[in-house]
Amino acid sequence: MSEQVHNRLAMVRAERKVSRQRLAEAVGVHYQTIGYIERGQYNPSLDLALKVAAFFGLPVEALFSLEPFQPLTDQVYGHGKDS
Amino acid sequence: MAQKERLSAYDQSMYDLMNRSEGAALHSTAARRRAVVGVHVALTAGFVGAWLGTVVGELSWAGWVMLGLLLPWCVATGILNSATRGLLELRPRVLDERQRAERDRARATAHRIMSWVLLGAVVVTGVVGFAGLTAKALVFQVAVCALVLHWLLPLWVAALAARDEPDADE
Repeated sequence: MSEQVHNRLAMVRAERKVSRQRLAEAVGVHYQTIGYIERGQYNPSLDLALKVAAFFGLPVEALFSLEPFQPLTDQVYGHGKDS
Repeated sequence: MAQKERLSAYDQSMYDLMNRSEGAALHSTAARRRAVVGVHVALTAGFVGAWLGTVVGELSWAGWVMLGLLLPWCVATGILNSATRGLLELRPRVLDERQRAERDRARATAHRIMSWVLLGAVVVTGVVGFAGLTAKALVFQVAVCALVLHWLLPLWVAALAARDEPDADE
């Protein structure tokens, strides 16, 4: 049983200029684990997902979702708008 | 690393040792990890064969073979431990949730393989016994091989299952 959990971790981390190592130390995991979460190769536990969300000060659903995330530009500017 | 504040000096030094990056290029791809596992299997087979040669066969030259294989075997073991980041060497409290899950998976796979190997050994010795041949002289050798396989199989499985390093950030 393995449900794909989608995440925006890489994007948020880049946006906040936080290295994998720093995030990993803050949430108490190996830095590889952060990389594997970003690549979708590991689904974090609820505990870890909440810790990551708390680190960034975001709700957990802003970082993790069972559905693929919409591109940010679509969310901000609306999908299919005429330019 | 999980629970960093509770680590003993030993745990910290082992963690640092297992996460050294000097030999990272030796296990950076799946093909290289497979090659190192293959070399390690061959060295282990050679070492065990030489040891049995000295103990059972009383071959004096086999001791020199053992000595010759010891250093390359230690180096290969170090590379495998580096590839797995000490998955099977570090204590559970040093590992994070993903590493503990991977270690459990590697051990479960190794256990399954070992079960088939032991079943094969039972069948073979049974057939040999029914054929009227006696295999008592080989019991010690088979037991030693089974022990070594039981010990090292999780490391080989974990190294083969290890994934490539995430791309560098920053």
